[in-house]
Amino acid sequence: MSQQDDKEFRELLKQALPPVADTKLRRDLWPDMLKKLDEQPLRVPWFDWALAALLGVALVLFPGAIPALLYHL
Amino acid sequence: MNQHIYLRAYMAGITVPTIFLLVAATGFCIVRYVLDLPVPIERVIVFPMAVVPNAWGLWNMVFVALHSRAKMSIGPHGALLPLLLGPLGMVMAAVLNLGFPPNAIRVLPIAALVGFSVYYLAWKYLVGFLNRVLGIA
Repeated sequence: MSQQDDKEFRELLKQALPPVADTKLRRDLWPDMLKKLDEQPLRVPWFDWALAALLGVALVLFPGAIPALLYHL
Repeated sequence: MNQHIYLRAYMAGITVPTIFLLVAATGFCIVRYVLDLPVPIERVIVFPMAVVPNAWGLWNMVFVALHSRAKMSIGPHGALLPLLLGPLGMVMAAVLNLGFPPNAIRVLPIAALVGFSVYYLAWKYLVGFLNRVLGIA
């Protein structure tokens, strides 16, 4: 590819991709970023795991409770 | 995001039981039409379809109203809801003449414990998540 082709190619690209207007940020995004970094990941306490396990066992042992649960959910 | 906080609380509250209604309705349909058990589905579905989602929405509005004054977490707050919905469901079942299964009294204590546990976990993790997404609490 010659230098002339190169130049034409660059011009064509510029025409195809016009410069973006208004590139300024409307507000500062850094505080949001800091807030996101400070967020703790969801931790499930052992009590809730135990409760979920007991719940599963109860539903297996007493399947008669399932219709009542479906009715109330 | 500070506008219409109670409307957002209501919407966050009704989401979980509304989605779960699909599971419940599927279960009732399987019991009625596949297993061919005589479940009056058109009467059974009234309570989970009309009362329960609205009760969840209103209960979440109550949570938002109380949250600013009393710092009660959402799990125990949700676990209190079966105290209202349980008797109300029984009254509705009696009014609609659904009839209780013969072993209903025997499984009642277990069903109550299961209900409290399910509501505690659902409110703590599902409704709590939706409240956080909507910027409520």
